[in-house]
Amino acid sequence: MDPIWLILIFIVVIIVVFFLLIYWGFYNRIIRYENRIDNSWAQIDVQLKRRADLIPNLMETVKGYMKHERETLENVTKARSAIMSAKTPQDSINADNMLTGALKTLFAVAESYPDLKANQNFLNLQDELTHTEDKIAYSRQHFNDSVLAFNNTIETFPGNIFARWMGKKERLMLQIPEASREVPKVSF
Amino acid sequence: MLVEDHIRKNKRDTLIICIFMLLLLFGIIFAIGYVLGAPPIFSTAIGLPIAIAYILITYSFSVQSVLSAAGARPANPQNRDEKILIYKVEEMALAAGLPTPTVYVQDSRDINAFATGKKPEEAVICATTGAIQQLNKEELEGVIGHEMSHIKNRDILVMTVTVGVVGAIALIAEIVIRMLFWGGISGGGRSNRKGGGNAIILILAIIFIILAPIFSRLTYFAISRRREYLADADGAYLTRNPEGLARALEKIKADLPDDPKGSKTVAPLYIANPFKRALRNSIWSTHPPLDERIKRLRSM
Repeated sequence: MDPIWLILIFIVVIIVVFFLLIYWGFYNRIIRYENRIDNSWAQIDVQLKRRADLIPNLMETVKGYMKHERETLENVTKARSAIMSAKTPQDSINADNMLTGALKTLFAVAESYPDLKANQNFLNLQDELTHTEDKIAYSRQHFNDSVLAFNNTIETFPGNIFARWMGKKERLMLQIPEASREVPKVSF
Repeated sequence: MLVEDHIRKNKRDTLIICIFMLLLLFGIIFAIGYVLGAPPIFSTAIGLPIAIAYILITYSFSVQSVLSAAGARPANPQNRDEKILIYKVEEMALAAGLPTPTVYVQDSRDINAFATGKKPEEAVICATTGAIQQLNKEELEGVIGHEMSHIKNRDILVMTVTVGVVGAIALIAEIVIRMLFWGGISGGGRSNRKGGGNAIILILAIIFIILAPIFSRLTYFAISRRREYLADADGAYLTRNPEGLARALEKIKADLPDDPKGSKTVAPLYIANPFKRALRNSIWSTHPPLDERIKRLRSM
């Protein structure tokens, strides 16, 4: 065979190997980012469940003290069942925001019940509910960070080409509903 | 990726420091052998295994030695303040996407905190009781965010191993100098009789032994200073609130430690150097000046 051909074949092989190496790197990166998104969602889900589980305890503790705050208590229960029945991630987040608002009102109202405020059980529940709320906020932040990293990879060159081959589509970030951005007003 | 590069660099730095310390220790033992008149092969046969064993032992126990040098104890979830600290650590771990570190508390009135561990899965975050009591939630969050970034970037690996390996060598060098001082008095007459050649080696050995702790200091301020700005920025990114950390640093600045506790060896691990003189910006300080850090956080 002509040496020219040998050199050409050699060059083609080099290019193919180089290409495969890049594809390999991007494939792993895309899968890793995708798993990170799924994992961060799982983290949010765990916290949402934990939070919903705490509500019956809180209701039990509060019931005896806040007899005249039916509406406030009902809102909390309603928000809790919304979390339990949510289908999509965004639905869960919306329901959780509802719960956050309802709890804020409840804790604000609780300020005018000195007996309740002195209840150790109530204090612990309040701490833990605030803690899960913060955890959800930070998990959501990490989720959105992960989605951003994933989307950046599959939308920029050359990741966009590989992503198309792999059938990967951009993911949606979790939005915070407008209503929950403002501090709930509490009137006494 | 930037974080990955940083992690790789930190792992490489750890290896370099371990090798450097291995050679330094071997050199010290070799020099002592020379002074005592042992043949070089004998010094090598003794020195090399000792040096290797030293590195391996101090490396594996570095986390424990850091925690015990700081006098830290596991946080008690029954105490409300310490429970809040555990909560904040859990939250920041979620924000960073890391496993939750073990939480320790150091009983001290100063406001300070540090992170240690060789990898994120076994990381420890320790805060002083002063920090827990005097910082509000936002400020505490800023401090924990800073420490969490050290864990994420694997700064904890370099810092912990360096403190473990270097801290112990500083101690050993001290002991050796003391031994040499006593040996020098009793053996003085003998080396005089042997003449000039031996005396030069003796002087060289002494110089080397005196230099050893200075060298070990040099390595550890070289490793910690430039990492602080990065951890400040990353921590602020985690909390989305640079002001929290800025205010915490202001409180640390205002609350000058009057009786710094713990070991100087652990100093580079803390969020702010617990020793007063380190507040001045000199090449000897392990941390960048607080004013500069606060300024940078405020301009984010």
